[in-house]
Amino acid sequence: MKRWLGVCAMGLLLAGGVQAAGFEARAATPAPELKAQDLAGVTKTLADYRGKVVLLNFWASWCPPCLREMPSMERLRTKMAGRPLAIVAVDSAETRDEVNGFLSRMTLGFPILLDPDGANTKRWKVFALPTTFLLDAEGRVRHVLTGPTEWDEGEALGIIESLLAELPHP
Amino acid sequence: MRFFRFLLVSAWACSFAVRAEVPDHQVFAASGPQLLLWVTSERGRAEPEVHAAQQLAAQGVEIWSLDLVAAYFLPQLASSMDAVPSRDLADWLRAAQASGKRVVVYAVSRAAVPVLRAAAMLTPGERQGLCVMLMYPNLYTVAEPLAEPDFLVVGDLRGLRVHVLQPRRSAATPWLPGLLDHLSKQGAATSHVILENLREGWWARETPTEFEIAESRRMDAMLLRELNNWGCK
Repeated sequence: MKRWLGVCAMGLLLAGGVQAAGFEARAATPAPELKAQDLAGVTKTLADYRGKVVLLNFWASWCPPCLREMPSMERLRTKMAGRPLAIVAVDSAETRDEVNGFLSRMTLGFPILLDPDGANTKRWKVFALPTTFLLDAEGRVRHVLTGPTEWDEGEALGIIESLLAELPHP
Repeated sequence: MRFFRFLLVSAWACSFAVRAEVPDHQVFAASGPQLLLWVTSERGRAEPEVHAAQQLAAQGVEIWSLDLVAAYFLPQLASSMDAVPSRDLADWLRAAQASGKRVVVYAVSRAAVPVLRAAAMLTPGERQGLCVMLMYPNLYTVAEPLAEPDFLVVGDLRGLRVHVLQPRRSAATPWLPGLLDHLSKQGAATSHVILENLREGWWARETPTEFEIAESRRMDAMLLRELNNWGCK
């Protein structure tokens, strides 16, 4: 019986365990509501970013993979300066003090929104951190990534460029 | 004659092979009236868990520690827990109840699945005599971004008392009410406690905080506190 179970488990491993994490394309899904305060106490919604491609990242200060990808998001912000890309990081279910404590150790130039009661986390059905949604300029979800990546290079950068390319040229 | 004896022994051995087996477990014996069945997560048994089991035994709580991935030669994956034969675990629970001690099962992460399935296989009377503590239980069947979560139906849990220990610093914490509701719908009487400033599996983290290191060392005290505060008798 143990051998049989071992075989079954190996099958499960091959079926799902070794598949590389990657971006999941979505068929222009309407985005759930986003309503959260920034660190200055100003309420933000997706309407504030309409007309821009949005990188919406759910993270927490206790989550090592979240912190690992943050510097690449900051490099992306610098690289994309002047282009219609908004990077927005929603801290999931932590207090303002916890977030400020983290930001005293890492300088970030993109907006951080607070979700202390997890309401946005639940509306967007986020079950793992980090989870990132890439929205087109019309506010539709086009790609989802569960887990960290290097945002300023490779597949991530390619997807962002492809969404930016959909915008009418000025 | 010898041939028939060989046949009989073979038949007995075959029947044993297809019967449920009580899985191999490590015993930390104690003379107190309480027996804690400690089922480690899909990551296997960690050294701080062994230390806590020893400390609890020294305080009179007997521990039967079961590492399912080691007992069934499974890979360290959440899906491995779903492959554990529930009948084996149900027999294990019955063996524990037969000890005459007060039995509490403590299961970590996805190990909640085989434990609850086994509890569902017990008779209502056997189930009522059991208390189950679940540390950040993972009962998801579907947990995809933008999709409603779906939890496993494990069977009839009527009469079972379930106490969930949920570290605050976990992506699952906002979803705890839904999980408790799901368990209640299957008949379990649920309660929970949030463990502040801790992450899932804090005792085996690569980069633990100072608080997590300290809490790993006093995991026995945390479990005793929860057992006593919960008061499942």
